[in-house]
Amino acid sequence: MRKPIVFTSEHEMPPMAVSLADMGHNRTGGWRYLRPIYSEKLAPCKSACPVGNDIPRILSLVSEGHYEDAWRLFRETSPLPGVCGRVCYHPCESFCNRKNFDEALSIASIERFVADACFGLEDRISERPRRSEKIAIVGSGPAGLTCAYFLAKDGYAVTVFEAASQPGGMLRLGIPSYRLPREVLDREIELIARWGVEFRTNIRVGQEIDIEKLWEQHDAVFIATGAHRGRALNIPGEEFALQGLEFLKAVNLSPNPSPTRRGEGSQGVRLGKKVLVIGGGNTAMDCARTALRLGAQPIVVYRRTREEMPAITEEIEEAEHEGVQFEFLAAPVAIHKLNDKLEVQCIRMKLGEPDKSGRRRPVPIPGSDFILRADSVLKAVGEEPDLSFISESLETSEGIVMDRSHELLERAGVFIGGDAQTGPSTVAQAMRSGKETAQAIMRFLRGERTPKPKKLEEALRVNFAYFAHMPRVPTPQLPVSERIANFAETKRALSPEQARAEATRCFSCGVCNNCDNCWVFCPDVAITRMNGTYEVNYDFCKGCGVCVEECPRSVISLVEEEL
Amino acid sequence: MTPTLTGTKKVVTGNHAVSYGAMLARVQVISAYPITPQTQVVELLSEFCANGTLRAKFIKVESEHSAMAALIGAANAGARTFTATSAHGLALMHEMLHWAAGARLPIVMADINRAMGPPWSVWTDQNDSLSQRDTGWMQVYCESNQEVLDTVIHAYKVAERVLMPAMLVLDAFVLSHTAEQIEIPDQALVDQYLPPYQPIYKLDVNDPHSFGALAPPDVYMELRYKMHTAMEDSLAEWARADEEYYGLFGRRYGLIEPYRTDDATLILVTSGTVTSTAREVIDELRAEGHRVGLLKIRVFRPFPAQLVREALANAQKVAVIDRNISFGMGGIFAQEIKSTLYNAPDRPPIFGFVAGLGGRDITPKVIKEIIEYTESHDEPEDLIWVGVKR
Repeated sequence: MRKPIVFTSEHEMPPMAVSLADMGHNRTGGWRYLRPIYSEKLAPCKSACPVGNDIPRILSLVSEGHYEDAWRLFRETSPLPGVCGRVCYHPCESFCNRKNFDEALSIASIERFVADACFGLEDRISERPRRSEKIAIVGSGPAGLTCAYFLAKDGYAVTVFEAASQPGGMLRLGIPSYRLPREVLDREIELIARWGVEFRTNIRVGQEIDIEKLWEQHDAVFIATGAHRGRALNIPGEEFALQGLEFLKAVNLSPNPSPTRRGEGSQGVRLGKKVLVIGGGNTAMDCARTALRLGAQPIVVYRRTREEMPAITEEIEEAEHEGVQFEFLAAPVAIHKLNDKLEVQCIRMKLGEPDKSGRRRPVPIPGSDFILRADSVLKAVGEEPDLSFISESLETSEGIVMDRSHELLERAGVFIGGDAQTGPSTVAQAMRSGKETAQAIMRFLRGERTPKPKKLEEALRVNFAYFAHMPRVPTPQLPVSERIANFAETKRALSPEQARAEATRCFSCGVCNNCDNCWVFCPDVAITRMNGTYEVNYDFCKGCGVCVEECPRSVISLVEEEL
Repeated sequence: MTPTLTGTKKVVTGNHAVSYGAMLARVQVISAYPITPQTQVVELLSEFCANGTLRAKFIKVESEHSAMAALIGAANAGARTFTATSAHGLALMHEMLHWAAGARLPIVMADINRAMGPPWSVWTDQNDSLSQRDTGWMQVYCESNQEVLDTVIHAYKVAERVLMPAMLVLDAFVLSHTAEQIEIPDQALVDQYLPPYQPIYKLDVNDPHSFGALAPPDVYMELRYKMHTAMEDSLAEWARADEEYYGLFGRRYGLIEPYRTDDATLILVTSGTVTSTAREVIDELRAEGHRVGLLKIRVFRPFPAQLVREALANAQKVAVIDRNISFGMGGIFAQEIKSTLYNAPDRPPIFGFVAGLGGRDITPKVIKEIIEYTESHDEPEDLIWVGVKR
């Protein structure tokens, strides 16, 4: 403080209330009791993504046409962008903040666009430590592949054992090629192999090799065998019904599935014309749509209504578009064989009280039996893991019970994940499990403790005033007439123009994209902009919070000053 | 000095005369919100800004309060600033008008006199501007489009000398939307008359000062005293500005304008456009032998009390026409005249007439009735309502 200036008469005073002394010492920052800080938040899409794809940054790169950079950023968190862009149920879109403004971003179709646009590119195989530990992964589905990718990237020697003739697990066996073309899957598996992952196919653990041997020969074992055992209907005549998943495997493993006049696939599965598919899940949809492509007329028999179907809505809609018939509120009670034909005796159901899952329980209506005639019946009422290969000795000697007791397993160096652990779930959940297991294995081998999970604050506040309404780009589809007689991919890629336009719709929640609003609006000119970042000059920031309010994407937080 | 007429003849409305005046004054920041009947003023100025005729920052705002607040910031930073408004817009600015005056910022504004609602009215009367009488703004009531243009330039001259804001006032429609031939002065001459504004203190990051901070009782009153003395000093500055302008452009207006008052026994006092009508009536009545004269009040704040006393010294009766009403008291000009004359040695009886509210025409017939009433009555009356249907 300077010496006070004392006025003894009005002559000495300036005309207005102005300090005669230089006020440079009086930094307005001293008024502040709230402090704005740049602290990026977790975008809800990224938070919802099971593998944690950095969606806002990827969309920003796409909007600028940097597709290769976007692809490489996908591959930081996921080895399967081409797969996920097609088959992921995209929880990212369900949590997209933009859905509260107009429509959610079409993130999955952008992921697919990026993967397609970069088809042929390879990972830059970096110099990495050569580690001596060997890891066996049992199963090459999304969990096994993802685990292998992250371990191999870190220098571990990884061998993947696969019972089928080709790797991919449920991605190859369960998902029809009209949803996931084989060249896309093959390419992404090939890129994983480039990191040094060894794939040993036609080896079924429990038959060609046993789990204890693997355990002896490796420093860690990851059991990712999925859930491949179809559930039973438990009705008389069950033996006349085929397991839907087995039907899918047969078709999906045949090199050129094609229709025949009588619904006989070239792979030797004889369906006939009229096919009943029992069940309402994704396997049921895949069975029905595959049967349709083989020339059959499938009818889905489901015991509740369309609303309760566990299949992804999009799959149900596609099945409907393609002409699949549905028989709702019907449950088979017996299957009879008459000559070459099947008669499925069904009972009519009604919806009762909600069950544990929250869906209304189907209740049979007494005396409502009716007959559906068919050439064949596919049962698709759910799958479960088959862990019979895990010997009693392993369970007992280490006190390990396969009850998802991760901790006990990990202590022994045996890890389990994916559908084998949880029962049937999604591709992305299996990948999450594979990725987390890779990290758990690394910690196990290095003797590290499990870190406490750090949860970043989510960016849920968006200042809509800064955005203009823009409709979501629809995913281009092959016309139904061009798809039901073959296995061509039903969805098409966005054009580069569509992808870029769609990516510009991203709010970039929680991630600064240098919009300059904070810098423009600071009433104290206390924000400086340098090389794409911003700094607050706390000598002059009064803590008014205008920058926080005007940041469209919650990047800036206001915290209380510590006194 | 020989008066010279230099410039371009042009037929423009009162509103556009304001715009041309601001343009010639080379204002640097304009901030305004549109309101009938002011809109055309800023419309033309925004065109001038857009086409490069005027190098000024035009700030669009969401209210008149913000318009004035923006100008206060700009003027504090040393810019020459301008805005225009009417009626409710001016009322909304009220708080900021006090601030501009207290901060001693030479902002100039045009107020197009419009009656206050409710009931809604877009037509003229003076209640809007007179409601701001005590904010510390200088007020000048104009009679013609030429006077309007010239007064914008005068206003900067005086405001920047005494550091008080100035408001020029013109009647809605009667001037604002009526086209007259005027002379647009030559820019070089205006530049000679009105050099760039040089503030003594301004917001400057290299020389930081605190503005408008808390003033304790031991200095507040001195600052108010200085505002009042600045207003008093501005009387001489208005006269000087008028003379200097006359020297360059050959036009002058005076703070007040006496017309045929020398031997008048009855003097009619007017302001604004009523004056033009009244001048005709005075000539007509003079021709009939009435000894009547006219006094136009142009500068209302500061009130030219001494000049008014002198002009009315020999009158035996004074009639004041007020196009305004202070409810519960009467016409506001009449009150000012009465209080000015109260301490004068010989004061004539004063008749206060309220007429023409909400844009009702004040015709020659109305003015004649006012004069006849004054001539035929001996006892002064504080408030006579003219033309009220009763």
